[in-house]
Amino acid sequence: YQRRVRDRSARFPGSRTLPFQTHYPLSMADQLDCALDLMRRLPPADVEDNLAGLIDLAPDLTEDLLSAVDQPLKIAHDKAANRDYLLCDYNRDADSYRSPWSSKYDPPLSDGAQPSAPLRKLEVQMNEVFDIYRDLYFEGGVSSVYCWDLDGSNFAACILIKKTQDQSKKGQPMKGTWDSIHVIEVDDHKSKAHYTLTSTVMLSLETKNDATGKMHLAGSLTRREEKECPITPAASHIVNIGRLIENMEIGLRQTLETIYFGKTKSICSDLRSVLSKSELDARKQFSSEINRAVKK
Amino acid sequence: GINAEYGTREKRRESNTMAEPTAQELVDICNNFMLTAPPGEFMEVVTDIRGLLSNEALLNSSAPATFRQYNQEQMLAVQSPAGHKFLITEFGEVGDGQYVDPMGKMIVKFDHIKQAVVGQAGAAPAGGDEATRAAFDAAAQAYQADHYPDGTATVYAKGGKIIVCMQSSKYNPNNFWNGRWRAVYHCTVGAGGVEVRGNIKIQVHYYEDGNVQLNTDTNKNFKVAGGDAATAAKNTIDAIKKLEKAFQSSVEVAYATMGDTTYKALRRALPLTRSRIAWEKISSYRVGSNISK
Repeated sequence: YQRRVRDRSARFPGSRTLPFQTHYPLSMADQLDCALDLMRRLPPADVEDNLAGLIDLAPDLTEDLLSAVDQPLKIAHDKAANRDYLLCDYNRDADSYRSPWSSKYDPPLSDGAQPSAPLRKLEVQMNEVFDIYRDLYFEGGVSSVYCWDLDGSNFAACILIKKTQDQSKKGQPMKGTWDSIHVIEVDDHKSKAHYTLTSTVMLSLETKNDATGKMHLAGSLTRREEKECPITPAASHIVNIGRLIENMEIGLRQTLETIYFGKTKSICSDLRSVLSKSELDARKQFSSEINRAVKK
Repeated sequence: GINAEYGTREKRRESNTMAEPTAQELVDICNNFMLTAPPGEFMEVVTDIRGLLSNEALLNSSAPATFRQYNQEQMLAVQSPAGHKFLITEFGEVGDGQYVDPMGKMIVKFDHIKQAVVGQAGAAPAGGDEATRAAFDAAAQAYQADHYPDGTATVYAKGGKIIVCMQSSKYNPNNFWNGRWRAVYHCTVGAGGVEVRGNIKIQVHYYEDGNVQLNTDTNKNFKVAGGDAATAAKNTIDAIKKLEKAFQSSVEVAYATMGDTTYKALRRALPLTRSRIAWEKISSYRVGSNISK
C-alpha cells in the first residue's frame, strides 16, 4: 500500500453528466465526484463541519475525502523541540500526528509510519529551508514539511504554511487567515526528475462594523503544475521544489487578490448599481455625444 | 515493513466506539447542505446529495419542507400570471404551495420542487391597509427599476406593518459565478412617522478552480417622518435608497482595507530584498547551523 497522492485533477462543477434518472446507488468514483462538487459549492467558512457531514453520509469514502478535501490547518506544539507544527492527513496515523522536528507521534505510537532514513534526512533539510521561506514571505506563521516514500527512489512531500493576522481594533474585528497546502510528487530519474505539484491556498478575511455589518470573504483556489528538471549539484530536489512552490505561490497570491478583491466586488456592483438608471442613461448619452463630436 | 502496514491502520479520526449517525441526523446534514446552497446552484447541490446517499429515498419525506424553506429564505423571484415578477416569501404564504402576489391581487399556486408557478388560486384575501401598501409598492418598484438591473420588489401589508422585500440575483454559471442581494424592511407606519427595521444580505459565489464566497449580513433600523400614504412611502424609500448606497460604499471601503492592509500583512508579494529567493544559497545551509532570521 502506498500513501495515495491526492488526485487533484481539476474538477469543474457541471462537467459531470449526471442525469436525474441516474441508476442509484452510484459507483464510488461517481460518489466521490458528487462529494467534491459539493465542497466546491457549500460555504467555505463551514468546510470542517461540511467534511464531517460528508463522511457521515458516505463513510466508505472517508479515506478519499480526508486526503482530497483541504481543511484549514491546525497547529500543535512539540514540547521536546519547543516548536509548533501543522496537522494534516499526511502526518496522521490513527489519531496521532507526527512532529516534523522530532519525528515523534503525539499521542505516542510504538509503530507509527515513518519516512525511510534517507528520506527523513531530506525531510529535515526541507523543513529548515521552508522555515526560511516562510520567514521571508510571511514574516511569522508556522510551516511544516512531511515526506513519504513511493516506489523505488520516488517520493512525495507536502509543504504546509499557516499565517493568521488579527488587526482588530476596539469593537471592530478584522481578521485574516492564510493556509498553503502544497503536495508534490517526485519521479526521480537520477539525473533528472519529474515533479507534479498540486497547490491549494485557503484564504479567509472577516470584519464587522456598524456600516457593513458582518462581512466574510472565505474560500480557496487550487492549481496544478508539472515540470521536468535536471538534478545537478546546484539544482537539487530542494532547489527544484523550492522554485516550483515559490512560483506557484506568487501566481496564486496574485489570482487570489484578483478574485477576492476584484471579481467578488464587481459582482456586488452587478447586483445593485450605485448610480441610478437615469444617471447611467445620462452618462451613456453624454459619451455618445462626445463620440459623434470627435468623429466629425 | 512499516510502510506496508500503513494502509491497514484505521484511519477514521473518531474512535471506533462512537455511534453511527441516526437516520434523522443524516437528514439534518442533508437539509443543512441544501439550505446553504449558493444562489442558482440549489438543484446541483440536491443532485450531489442524492448521488452521495446509499439510500437516496432517505430524503423523500423531508425534501418538500426543505425546498419550501430554501425558496422562501432566498425570496425566489417568479413570474406572476398577472405579467410581472414577484417574490416567494414567508410573508406571502397563505396555504400549502399558495402565495399572495400583492400587486397582482391574486393567490398563486407554486411548486417548490419545480421552483415554478403552476396556476392561480383565486383573489388575494382582503384586509390590511391596501392604500398604504400600494403607495409603498409604487415607490419600491420605481426604486428597484432605478438601481437593480435584475431586481424584484414585493410589498405586503401584513400584521399591521408594511413589509418591503427586495431581491436581486445574477447568474453566470458558464463563468463559474453567481450572486444574490436580499433586503427586507419591516415598516410600522403611524401618525408619528415610519419606524423601519431592516436587514440586508449579500451572497456571492465564485468557483473557477476553487470555491470563494462573500457573505454579508447587516441590520439597518431607522425612523422617518410620516404623513399621507404617498409621503410616508416616499420618505421611507428615500431613506432606504440612502442607507443602501451608504452600505454599498462601506462594503467597498471594507474591500479596500482587507486588500491593502490585512491581505498584505498575511503574505508579502516579495521578500524584503525585493527579489525572489536564491534557493541554491538557502538550501546549502547545513542542518542545525545557526540560521539568522
